[in-house]
Amino acid sequence: MRYALIGQSAPDFALHAAVGGNARLSEHRGEVVVLSFWSSRCTPCRTQLAALNRSLATYHSAGLAMFGIGVDDDPAQAREFARSASVSFALLLDPAKGVSRSYQVDNLPMTVLIDRNGTVRDVLRDYSAESEQLYLQQLRALLNE
Amino acid sequence: MLQMTRAPSRADAAPRRGALLAPLLVGALLAGLAPTALGAPPAGPDATTTPAAAGTTAPPGEAPAATPADAGSPLATSPAVPESSPDTRGLDQEIQDLKKDVVDLNKDLFILEEELLFPANTQVAVFLSVDVGQFFALDSVQLKLDRKEVINYLYTPREAEALLKGGVQRLYLGNLKVGAHELVAFFNGKGPNQRAYKRGASLRFEKGVGAKYLELKIDDRQRKLQPEFEIKDWE
Repeated sequence: MRYALIGQSAPDFALHAAVGGNARLSEHRGEVVVLSFWSSRCTPCRTQLAALNRSLATYHSAGLAMFGIGVDDDPAQAREFARSASVSFALLLDPAKGVSRSYQVDNLPMTVLIDRNGTVRDVLRDYSAESEQLYLQQLRALLNE
Repeated sequence: MLQMTRAPSRADAAPRRGALLAPLLVGALLAGLAPTALGAPPAGPDATTTPAAAGTTAPPGEAPAATPADAGSPLATSPAVPESSPDTRGLDQEIQDLKKDVVDLNKDLFILEEELLFPANTQVAVFLSVDVGQFFALDSVQLKLDRKEVINYLYTPREAEALLKGGVQRLYLGNLKVGAHELVAFFNGKGPNQRAYKRGASLRFEKGVGAKYLELKIDDRQRKLQPEFEIKDWE
């Protein structure tokens, strides 16, 4: 299924973080940004966040920024999940689902890759060993641009 | 990113004709002017080299070969210096001039847009500044004009830091008719001892003919070890 936002400017947002400081997407123009939408009820999300964390450790110095966006209705539940996830990037809260709607999230986990110009370039709608390889390929291509 | 001259808002989120017009015009100018100004042919499948470079460009992977006519020239003995260097410099200068023109045009369009959307006689602008900030870490500000929410702005650590360094943010820009109005601001953040802290401040003001400028000021009250919130009317 084609993702309508590919090639479009990534919708800007500012969200509270479950742990740490607030984040605004437009502050990261010039960096490759990875957004991962997650929920505390989604089992593969935890595995995917750990995999993303590994890629961030590798490519952070090349200009990679990463945010996890929780879509839980209950912020307390999302905070608890965020604390236990132990990732080095910010896990943000979107209980009103305004950001999830603007990014047309229709599956969890869902990962959106944004290039240095702020354009949505790729989306991954699931998590598996194959999709992780694809993600790394796409990420390297964006970082090399 | 915190823009000290223009703060995004929910009210601003709706696409505005003027806001869309500026980048479009600039884009059109770039697309339309660049090839003609540079003397390049219209972009096509083969338009990969500029005319200046076309005569001297060697196939990829090959060094430029000297022709028999070139053999006696000084350039033939120094292949490391490309023959088109002066032309390239001229081209670079032209590109820089064009970019400057685009930036100037964008600035003019921005001013024009502001003048059209927020005429001086109805304009109201609200600024925010933070002084010291020892007893309050700013998280968000909600602004209500005449009981209607006009903005709810969330601050990132970078933005809060910029404010602490003396930055003044234009939080809201809008229009108001002449008469009495009320501005209410709610400040959310962390107060003394890292506790959640929410305070409000309000100001009744008279909007006359001419622009109105108001400032939300967050200050430290050292004597009470508490933050202080104030709305100032710039007369």
